[in-house]
Amino acid sequence: MSVRSTTLPKPFHQAVVRWQETFLPDYDLLQENWEKFFPTERKFELCAYRQTGMCTEIECGEMKGKPKFNRASDMQPEQAHHLFGAIRAQASTEFGSIQQHRLTLARAQEEEEQFWILRMMAEELRHGYQMLHLLVEDDWSSVSKESSADLVEGILSMNTGSHLLGAFNVDFDSFIDNVVFCGLIDRVGKYQLAMQKVSAYQPMAESMPEMLREEAFHLAAGVVPMRRWVTAAAKGGTFVTMVDLQKAINKWIPRALEMFGDERGGGTNVRYGLKPMKNAEAQKQYYEEVAKLVRDLNLRYLRARAEKLSHGESEAALDRILQGEVVEGVRREDLLHMPHPEFFRRRGVPAFRMVGAEGEVFTDLAAFRQHLVRSLPDSYRASRDFREYQEALTQVVEGTLQAEEAAGKMPSLRRVGGACPCSKSVRWVVDEPAVSAA
Amino acid sequence: MTATTTEVIIRPLDELDISAIVRIDEQIGGSYRPDVWERRIGYYLRRDPETSVVAELDGRVVGFMLGEVRSGEFGLEEPTGWVEVLGVDPDCRGRAVGRRMGEAILQHFKERGARSVRTLVDEEQTELSGFFSSLGFEPSSVRAFVRPV
Repeated sequence: MSVRSTTLPKPFHQAVVRWQETFLPDYDLLQENWEKFFPTERKFELCAYRQTGMCTEIECGEMKGKPKFNRASDMQPEQAHHLFGAIRAQASTEFGSIQQHRLTLARAQEEEEQFWILRMMAEELRHGYQMLHLLVEDDWSSVSKESSADLVEGILSMNTGSHLLGAFNVDFDSFIDNVVFCGLIDRVGKYQLAMQKVSAYQPMAESMPEMLREEAFHLAAGVVPMRRWVTAAAKGGTFVTMVDLQKAINKWIPRALEMFGDERGGGTNVRYGLKPMKNAEAQKQYYEEVAKLVRDLNLRYLRARAEKLSHGESEAALDRILQGEVVEGVRREDLLHMPHPEFFRRRGVPAFRMVGAEGEVFTDLAAFRQHLVRSLPDSYRASRDFREYQEALTQVVEGTLQAEEAAGKMPSLRRVGGACPCSKSVRWVVDEPAVSAA
Repeated sequence: MTATTTEVIIRPLDELDISAIVRIDEQIGGSYRPDVWERRIGYYLRRDPETSVVAELDGRVVGFMLGEVRSGEFGLEEPTGWVEVLGVDPDCRGRAVGRRMGEAILQHFKERGARSVRTLVDEEQTELSGFFSSLGFEPSSVRAFVRPV
């Protein structure tokens, strides 16, 4: 098993560097402080890694056992089309997350956690670079009329509001978002990367192992601060309360679930050997994994509140509290809870159903709105994203818009004018008449 | 991504194993040290998340073995795998949990290019010495020295 590295042709590499200068200006700060926070660890390098010695036969689907493809032009047109879409979406998420993280990175209270996030941002940049490598190294003319330069520019032009997946079009409001996003949204990334590791397209499969290695730390960069915060909250700390964390979880879990795609879909990817699981199966595994994280956080909180409890005692006490008992002064409402999988959804099967965080069904729009007010972070409720959800929901409830149509409009994309730092051109990603050019 | 089986399953460490490792450490040593393990597991996940392993039995983590490949330690220039910490749930001893983790980590070290694998064991911990002997480890000429300051 070995890994080889490569860089993009110079113009594309420089385009990414210019993008980094715009959206990741603290990159140099990271490099300068690398030894302080990550002593003796391999320094970050902006390049693409490909693992060699991987399975060369298609591992799932109708073509299982046949040789994997090294060129998109050798694939069936629809197969290549699906793959192309997945690479673009993956690239969009990688660059998109950096644009989100940068908004609130400086608000971290702990320098160590800030540098963890900064390192994670640099690695996401590399992941985006890896996807551009796949687009630039192969000939995609069978599925796209765009040149390599246009493809790269199109991706680097995207901004929060014009990315392909909803989770990457939601602004961060505080450093809580940086951390919770790592713990929840990067976890979806782990699932996607793990599934793509068996891709019938060999360059995609070979790109995944190093990305997965880096993703493991990204999850820790979310989970460890969350564990520290619940401990502080249990001891009376008021910087990040359990309520704050719960609201952030409520904000991100619905978007995370939607990243798996519609619950009824995914069969085509499996059939073509691009992923081993359908959407609903992967989504269900993800949900159960996050439920484990939430339980761990609750146990950490409980033991910080009642230090005399042993592990076994705290497990039993947690179960009793979750059933409504008050144990050691801890009530059910003091703990974190998984939002119901249908809560606050705007894509997929439950899109625009009025389901509360605990699974309660609302029939009255005003009451559901008040429930959302209580369940989501205050700063998020003042956002454009939330306003557009509310407007679409109102139309669905009033019967002027079908849920599926509304889902198709979410997120409502902003147009982007000349945002690509590597170009002087103006790219209109999605036109939106309601927004003025200014 | 868990499986329910009576077989011991070895898999790479991940960040959701922190609680289980804290529990096993507490069972063995009697101290509850979540802060220590949060930091330490973060360290291994940053450096090489595939090498360190945990053992699962019936979907429950019952052992862990953490280590990595380094070069240049103590004048040992060749890539060397270091087994740095391990623990097995006392209730699951005698089920070859440690052996299975040891075999897995040795295989990973080899794949990472390690030419040898090293660890340090307190002479008084005869059970641990016996465990490493059973995995093929032999006493080394490199000796550990210590002094108070």
